[in-house]
Amino acid sequence: MRKRTLKRGLTGFWWFTLAFLYLPLAVVVLFSFNASNSAASFTGFSWRWYHQLMGNEQILSAFANSMVLAIVSSVIALGIGCLIGYGMYRHRHRKLGWLIVLIYLPIVLPDIVFGISEMAFFVQVHRLTGLFQPGLGTMIIAHVTFQIPFVALIVYSRFVGLDPTLFEAAKDLYATPAKRVIHFMLPTIKPALISAFFLSFTLSVDDFVISFFTAGPESATLPIYIWGAIKKGVSPEINAIATLMIGAVAIAAIISLMFSRRRQA
Amino acid sequence: MTDTLTLDSAEASRAADGATAEPAREASSIEMQGLHKRFGRDTVALAGVDLTIEAGEFFTLLGPSGCGKTTLLRILAGLEEADDGRLSIGGRDVTEVPPHKRSVNTVFQSYALFPHLSVRENLAFGLKMLGIAPREREARVARIAEFIQLGDLVDRRVDQLSGGQRQRIALARALVNEPDVLLLDEPLSALDAGLRSQLQVELLRVQKRLGMTFVFVTHDQDEAMVMSDRIAVLNGGVIQQVGPPREVYEHPANAFVARFMGHANLYPVSARDGDRLTTPLGVLSAEGAGQGELLLIRPETLDLLPGDQPGENRLPATVGERLYRGSHAEYRLEVGESTLQATVNNRGRRLPEVGDRVTVTVAPEDLVTLSE
Amino acid sequence: MSYAGVTPSARSRAMVRESRHLLFTVAPGATWIVIFLVLPSAYLMGVAFMTNGPYGLPEMPLSLASFERLAGFGFLGWSPGNLYTLLRSLWQTLVSTGLVVLVAYPIAYYISTCREKWRPIMLLLVVVPSWTNQVIRTFGWMNLLAPGTPLSGLAEGLGLIPPNMGLYPSNFAVTLGLVYNFLPFMVLPLYAAFEKLDTAQVEAAQDLYASPVRAFWHAVFPQTLPGLLAGIVLVAIPAFGMYVIPELLGGGKGMMLGNLVANQFSGGANWPLGAAGAILMLIATFVGLFAMRRIGKRLGGGEEVVI
Repeated sequence: MRKRTLKRGLTGFWWFTLAFLYLPLAVVVLFSFNASNSAASFTGFSWRWYHQLMGNEQILSAFANSMVLAIVSSVIALGIGCLIGYGMYRHRHRKLGWLIVLIYLPIVLPDIVFGISEMAFFVQVHRLTGLFQPGLGTMIIAHVTFQIPFVALIVYSRFVGLDPTLFEAAKDLYATPAKRVIHFMLPTIKPALISAFFLSFTLSVDDFVISFFTAGPESATLPIYIWGAIKKGVSPEINAIATLMIGAVAIAAIISLMFSRRRQA
Repeated sequence: MTDTLTLDSAEASRAADGATAEPAREASSIEMQGLHKRFGRDTVALAGVDLTIEAGEFFTLLGPSGCGKTTLLRILAGLEEADDGRLSIGGRDVTEVPPHKRSVNTVFQSYALFPHLSVRENLAFGLKMLGIAPREREARVARIAEFIQLGDLVDRRVDQLSGGQRQRIALARALVNEPDVLLLDEPLSALDAGLRSQLQVELLRVQKRLGMTFVFVTHDQDEAMVMSDRIAVLNGGVIQQVGPPREVYEHPANAFVARFMGHANLYPVSARDGDRLTTPLGVLSAEGAGQGELLLIRPETLDLLPGDQPGENRLPATVGERLYRGSHAEYRLEVGESTLQATVNNRGRRLPEVGDRVTVTVAPEDLVTLSE
Repeated sequence: MSYAGVTPSARSRAMVRESRHLLFTVAPGATWIVIFLVLPSAYLMGVAFMTNGPYGLPEMPLSLASFERLAGFGFLGWSPGNLYTLLRSLWQTLVSTGLVVLVAYPIAYYISTCREKWRPIMLLLVVVPSWTNQVIRTFGWMNLLAPGTPLSGLAEGLGLIPPNMGLYPSNFAVTLGLVYNFLPFMVLPLYAAFEKLDTAQVEAAQDLYASPVRAFWHAVFPQTLPGLLAGIVLVAIPAFGMYVIPELLGGGKGMMLGNLVANQFSGGANWPLGAAGAILMLIATFVGLFAMRRIGKRLGGGEEVVI
């Protein structure tokens, strides 16, 4: 009897928590279709904010910046992180404490400290040498820095999960070092590479604080643009961009669900 | 689908379509000289191994875990480099040749089938790496699949295979490359007893059929005796004895080999007068027992007679313990201050009980002496 | 032993090869992190001990003035503004972490009791909101808590806030935003702990006449402690350095350490003061990590905190 009451209470709490989690997102989506520009009452359905969005040069360029930043940084981080992940695996019997500290540093450092260190560093190096003009370039550098550890850890854990004799079997079956990489290692860790790429991409698109402090005047990304718009005074247009970004996340969620389903099957 | 390599039917079907399954290559011999290997600062895996394996031999490296047998196999494969010493295969010095340039293939203990590839792609992997054209690759995979009787297994995914099926795929993946030497690293140890003895016989038949040099690693002395033309017993990185199974079992070179190959009663020989040996059991007469200072009596060479029946090579004893095992019984007997293990076949007659007085007899020609 | 005479050439060659391989794989990334994170952080720490120049940029000589200002000592005598910000950051971190635990613990337990095929979906539902941008999520709360919204109306009706004020900006809104933001970070490790819970221990406790409360306390809670600790690390450390949520939901009186630090690097700046604040944050981070490691080790659950 008591058990059943507990279960029923928990079910209620679960739905309450879900409402708590999705209410803010739902409000944003709802008001993106609001006919009036009131943020408090819904007066009717309209696409007008989306139409306005399409004509807004700043938003389109912010979107382009976000994509370039996310894709370029993810590709670089994938290459570098993949090498570290393999190195950590291959030399896991050595004492690599310093490397572990280095890898975890970008993960544990508070965003704000991360962002301002890079900003202060870039500003000073720029003053002295003219390098690192704040802009997409510095943002890419900063993003790669926080993406590397995630890629490295994903690749490392994939390698650790493999039967170590597979590496020997590849050697034994006449694969030269280059062929081992192409025909054995890369195909074997392909799932890890894909998920590392998507995680890097998501981290990059999600990031605000680090981008904010390393950006230049011409390199605003979508979150930076939205931030500026909120600071200036709320415009319903923001609801529309935000809704599009929420939609992208929803699609990503459904894809990841389908992947995990297929893996189970 | 059974988990056996039924060669007879393979032969029959080959005779029918006139195809030849066996590699045309000649078998290769292996020569090892002074191989040393050390791990870290003080773990010595091999302390100077000199060994010759003849072409076409089923050769077994036998020993307890940590004896160096797997290290030796890995040096043959090229997966480990010896610190010192030379190794040649088929007359060619391969000491410093990397594994992918050696015509040697391994059947790994864990099978090591590539999870990202299908069974067919696994089988063709070595040929692909050797740069063999796709058409010939397919033909050779098809031939080996028929030879090992893989049937529809080639079209499955690796994760759909049972342990025994994986074992056969691993064997086929190595054999398809027609290597000079096939190395097998405890390939049957992960299988249950029934499947294991079935595959032992089949593996032996494959080897005889192909005439290839097989180097087999195991810690199981029964398996070694069933399979091998010759056995090398290793301990502490040193070869203790090399010889055919019967020689190693019946005339072990030392106490370690005697104990490792089976149950052994060992007693120091305190005095010797011609063929008469003085031991803690009493004075025993032996025939051609050698000049060693230890007397070996295998438990199965002993016979038990009821009551006291004194005579030559007859010892009065009391039954201390009996383990009944159906086909036979194992006894611990007390002879004076010493104990003696005896194995007696169950032939329907009365088996002595614990506490019974018995007389132990042993034939002089069954006694062997060896050195420590 | 014959080994002494063996030439070490093969061994040393292999060692050289392995070291070169290690260098080749690890050096690019390690160098990257050293140049673009370790050096900048080291520079920032140095800045904290420098003097504030006329344009907010650091200058020589070295001084501890920034730390004194953090403690409230300025040109105009002692004023507690910065100190309040520090204390508020600590308080918000404690309260929001506590609330997150209170919500996440039953949720994680509930998910682990549901049917296996639903669990991945339920976890995904908890995690998905955190995949959207933090700015957008916080913006959603701004919409919900603004004056004139149903939630603000309810609070007004209950007499909790004065009329037409709205629930934000306020410290309450910041706490809410923090709880919302970090809930998934606590649910995931707790769920992992519940999923591998050894139910035999619970049954043994019940078998030995333990009441449900005692069975929970002795058989369930200790098993979930590693997950709980991991969750606390994942929540408390970033909460202490939070910038976006207090900036948008807190207003001037809801400022936290992150805002204090960030403000020193934008207009009207004082880099050394900001850097000193960043050092405090770093100390808090490493003390937190170290404490959790120590406690975790003592509990014997030697589980690495992996994000």
